[in-house]
Amino acid sequence: MEQHGLIQKIGKLLRSGEISCTELTKQYLEAIRRENGRLNAYVKLTPETALQTAAEVDRKLAAKEELPPLAGIPMTLKDNFSTKGIETTCCSKILKGYVPIYDATVWSILKKQGTVLLGKTNMDEFAMGSSCETSCFGGAKNPHNTERVAGGSSGGAAAAVAGNLAVFGLGSDTGGSIRQPASFCGIVGLKPTYGAVSRFGLIAYASSFDQIGPLTQSVEDAALVYDAIAQHDPMDSTSSNRALPAFSSLGKEIRGLKIGIPKEYYDGVREDVKAALFGALKVYESLGAELVEFSMPSVKYSLPAYYILACAEASSNLGRYDGIRYGYRTEHYTDRNDMICKTRSEGFGAEVKRRILLGTYVLSAGYYDAYYKKAQNLRGTVVKAFEDAFAHCDVIAAPTVPTTAFPLNFTAQDAVETYLTDICTVPVNIAGLPGVSIPCGFGSDSMPVGLQLIGARFSEPTLLNAAFQYEQAARDDVFQAVETGVRL
Amino acid sequence: MNYELVCGLETHVELATKTKIFCSCSTEFGGEPNTHCCPICIGLPGTLPKLNKAVVEYAVAAGLVTHCKISPVSKMDRKNYVYPDLPKAYQISQYDMPLCKNGWVELSNGRRIRLNRIHIEEDAGKLVHDRGNTYIDYNRGGVPLIEIVSEPDLRSIDEVQEYVETLQMILRYIGVSDCKMQEGSLRCDVNVSVRPEGQEAFGTRAEIKNMNSFTHMAKAIAYEFDRQTDLLMSGEEVVQETRRYDEGTGCTEGMRDKEDADDYRYFREPDLVTIRVTDEMRESIRAKMPEDPQKRLARFVADYGLPEADARQLIEHRRIADYFEAAAKGTKNSRTAANCILEQMFARFGSEAEKDRFEVAVSPAQLHDLILLLDAGKIRKNLIKSTLEKMLDSGKPASDFLSEKDLAGISAEDLRAVCRKAAEENAAAVADYRAGKKKALGAIVGAVMKATKGRANPQETQKILTELLKG
Amino acid sequence: MVSNEDILKIARLAKLSVKPEELDGLTKDMNGIIEFANTINKVSAEDTGFDNINNLSNVFREDTVVPSYDREEILKNAPEEEDGYFLLRRRR
Repeated sequence: MEQHGLIQKIGKLLRSGEISCTELTKQYLEAIRRENGRLNAYVKLTPETALQTAAEVDRKLAAKEELPPLAGIPMTLKDNFSTKGIETTCCSKILKGYVPIYDATVWSILKKQGTVLLGKTNMDEFAMGSSCETSCFGGAKNPHNTERVAGGSSGGAAAAVAGNLAVFGLGSDTGGSIRQPASFCGIVGLKPTYGAVSRFGLIAYASSFDQIGPLTQSVEDAALVYDAIAQHDPMDSTSSNRALPAFSSLGKEIRGLKIGIPKEYYDGVREDVKAALFGALKVYESLGAELVEFSMPSVKYSLPAYYILACAEASSNLGRYDGIRYGYRTEHYTDRNDMICKTRSEGFGAEVKRRILLGTYVLSAGYYDAYYKKAQNLRGTVVKAFEDAFAHCDVIAAPTVPTTAFPLNFTAQDAVETYLTDICTVPVNIAGLPGVSIPCGFGSDSMPVGLQLIGARFSEPTLLNAAFQYEQAARDDVFQAVETGVRL
Repeated sequence: MNYELVCGLETHVELATKTKIFCSCSTEFGGEPNTHCCPICIGLPGTLPKLNKAVVEYAVAAGLVTHCKISPVSKMDRKNYVYPDLPKAYQISQYDMPLCKNGWVELSNGRRIRLNRIHIEEDAGKLVHDRGNTYIDYNRGGVPLIEIVSEPDLRSIDEVQEYVETLQMILRYIGVSDCKMQEGSLRCDVNVSVRPEGQEAFGTRAEIKNMNSFTHMAKAIAYEFDRQTDLLMSGEEVVQETRRYDEGTGCTEGMRDKEDADDYRYFREPDLVTIRVTDEMRESIRAKMPEDPQKRLARFVADYGLPEADARQLIEHRRIADYFEAAAKGTKNSRTAANCILEQMFARFGSEAEKDRFEVAVSPAQLHDLILLLDAGKIRKNLIKSTLEKMLDSGKPASDFLSEKDLAGISAEDLRAVCRKAAEENAAAVADYRAGKKKALGAIVGAVMKATKGRANPQETQKILTELLKG
Repeated sequence: MVSNEDILKIARLAKLSVKPEELDGLTKDMNGIIEFANTINKVSAEDTGFDNINNLSNVFREDTVVPSYDREEILKNAPEEEDGYFLLRRRR
C-alpha cells in the first residue's frame, strides 16, 4: 500500500530526528513569507505561537515521550475559529481587531496534541460566498493557476494546503465551503456528519448547517485529522457521541461496494468535468464496486431551501454585531439606533448584507410560513430521500462542483448565478451527512476536478475508505503537486 | 353605564438556581458590574448555549403547583430584537411549545384565575442611563426566568394583588424563587381593558410593562380604568398599545412609537435540542415537592386554629412552616407556638435573608416540649415568653431555666390549703356563690391563682372549691 | 416582487441602513434572490415535523457554579468602557 500521507511521513522524520520540529516550522514560515503575497492564503501569521509549540514538541521528542500523530504538524485554522489571544476577523471589517478570550474546542484539542499553528486563513466574509472574494482582505488565489479563485468559503485553507504552505488546514462547511475549494485546488476536503465535530468556538454562519472539517493532500491525512477532532463536546448541545474512528478502516476491500449515482446531480455539469467524473467511476468499477443509478428529484429544491434556512439563521446569528461589546464601531452617530445601523452597514460587505436581508425577510411576519416553514418541511423531505437512497447503496458518488475553479472576480456578476454552483454540495448539508471531495482528474483547462462521495450519517469509516481505495488506485493520474512551497 | 375591569398578568419570575440558564456563571444578586460573566452570557461570537437542568425542573415544579399540564415535548425558540441589554440580539425563550399549559391559581373568594402557560427564558442585562450615556452590566444576562401568563380573569385590583401574592407564596414555598418585587426577581406586565357590565366580548387592552411594586400596580390599574372608561364614554376608542407607568405623575403614558416594533421573527433555536419531559421525570419532580402550599395553608387554619394572616406568614417559607408543624403537632396550644415563632423568633432577624435562613438556637423539639409544659398546666403563658428568650439566647433547653419549683405545680394537699384560705379571705364571694351566683366562684379561683402565682390548675381549683363550698 | 419601501422596512428590522443611491440596485438584487427562494413553492411538501438534524433531546447541564471570567477579559474588546460597565455614549 502506498503512503501518500504527509502527516505520517513528517511524523517519521520528526521521531527519527531527521528533522526537528523547529526546523520544519521555520521552513513553512519562510515559504509563507515568500509565497503568501501571491496566493493570499493567510490573513494572519502566528510565528511566535508556532515556534513556541515547535520548541515544546522538540523537547518532548528529545525526552522520547510518546506523542499523538498530529504532534508537531504545521497547520492552519480558518479565520472564523476562535483563537484565544489571536485576532479573529472572519475576514470582515466588523471584526477587525477582535481578539477572542477563549479557544474553540477543536483548537483546544489540537493545541493539546501539539499541532503547530502557522496562522489564520482567508475566507469569504462570515463564510458567505463561493470564491473567497467577499473577504475584506481580497480573495485567495488558486495555486494551480493564480488567475483562478481558490474557492470558498475556505479558500485560504485550500490554497495553503495545495500550495504546500501547510500540511493540513481546518475549514468550515455550511453549503460546500470545504469541499468546493478542495475540488478547485485539487486536494481532499471532508465535511463530517453534522454533530461529529464540536461547533463551540466556530463563529456561526448557519447553526444547523455549519460543520468543521479538514483540508489535506491525502485521504489518510484527512482521516487522521478527523479522528482527532470528532469528539463529543459538552459545550455544544448539538454535538454527538456517535462518531467512529476512520483511520483504522482505511485499506478494507471495496469489492462489492454499492455506489449510488443520483441522475439529477449530473445535470448541468460541464462536459469536461463530467468526463473526469466518469473516469473516476470507471476506476471504481475496476476495483469491484457496483454502480447503481437512481433518481433524486428533491435535489433541485435543496438549493433555494438551503438559502432560505441558512440566511434565516445567519440573519439572527449576525444580529449581535452592533459595535457595543467588541469589533468595529462607527466614528460618528446621532443616537443609538444610528450607531448600530451605521456600524453594521459600514462593517458588513455587500454579500453579507444581502443574506441578512433575505434571512430577515423569510422570517418576518406574513412570510414565515411560505418561506421558512416550507423550507423546513422540504429539509425533512431531503433527509428522507437520502435515507431511502442509502437503503440501496453504501456511498453516493456525485460531482463536487459543476465546473472547475472560476476566474477571478467571477462573483461580481450575479448573486443567484453563484448560488447555483452550490447545487451538488448543499444537499449534503441539508441532510447533515458526511461528504468528501477528492481529486479525480482535470478539466480541459487543466484545472483540478473533484469527485464528491457522500455517506450515511456517521459512516466516515466507510466513506473515507472508499475515497482511500480510489486514491490508492488513481493517485498518480489525478493528483498534481504544486511546485512551490515546502517540498519534503 | 357601568364598566367592569378586566385584567390579565404576565409575570416574570427569576428562578433561584445556582447558575444561569445557558452557562455556569453564578446567579448571585449584586456583585460588581460584569463580574458574573463569561463568553456565553455576553454572546461572544462562536459561543453556544447549554440548558441548565435545574431550570427545567424548577419550571416543571412551578407548573405542577399551579395545576398545569406539563408538555411532554417542548423546545426553545429565538425571539429576535435589538436592545443593548440583549447581547446576542435575540432572547432564547419559548414561543409556541411552552413547558407548561392550562393551570390555575385559586383566590380566597373561590375564583380560579386560569394560567395560559408557563415558559422558560433568559433574562437580559441591566442598563444604567446617566447623562444620556448608556452603561451596561451583563451580570443579570442569562439569569433564568419563568414567564407565567394568566388569562384575563382578574376583575379587581384586590384580585390582582391577591393573585400576585399567592404566586409569590407558592413559588417561594416550593423554593423555585424568592419572588422579591423590590429586587426585581418578580416583575409584572399588566394587561388592562374595560367592558360594559354584562358584555361578554372583551374591550381593547393596553399593556403596562414592568410593574415592580403593588402600590404602583394598583395606581396604574386604577388610572388605566379611568382613562379607558373616559375614552369609551366620550365615544372614542381604546388603542391597543404598550404604556409606561410614571411614578411621579401616577399616570400611564403611551410609549414612543417604536418603528416596526414587535416583529420578533421567532424560529426554533438551532443550538439547543428538544426537551422531553417524560412521565418518569415529571413524577420524580412531583415526588420531591412538598405538599401544595395552598392546601397546607388551609390545614394550618383548620387544624391548628391559626388566623389566616398568621398562617400565611408561616407558609411563606417552607423551612418555617416545617418548623412550626414539628413544634405544634400534638399540642393543644398551637397558637402559642405560632406566636413564639412570629413574634419572638422573627423579631431577632435583621433582614429577609436572615429570615429565609431561619437559623434559630431552639430546635422544633425544644419548642414542642415547652408548649407541652403549657398544655400540662405546669407553667403560665408569660413564663413561656421569658423562658423562650433565654433559650434563644443560649441554645439551652427549657429545663435549664425552669426550676423544680416552677414546674412542680402544686400538690393536692397544698392546693386544698390555699383554697381554704382563699375561701376564708373572700367571704363575700363565698356568700354570693352559695346564694346562687355561680359566677362568683371565679373571683375565688382568681384569688387562688394569684396566691399560687399561676401554678394552680384552674380546673382542679374549681373542683376543690366547689367541693369545699358545698353545704 | 418587493418594492424599495419593502426593502427599507426589512433593512430597518435588520438594523442596516441603505444609501439612497444604493436602493434601486439593492431592490433589484433582492428581487432576484427572493424569486430564486420562491421556487420552493413550485413543489408541495407535507409537514415533516422536522426536529433537529441529530434527533437529540434532553441535553442538559448540571447546576454547578464555575468561576466567571475576569472582568478585564470580559471588557477586553469593548470599544468603550467605564467603571466596569460597557459604555455607549449618547452620540459622537
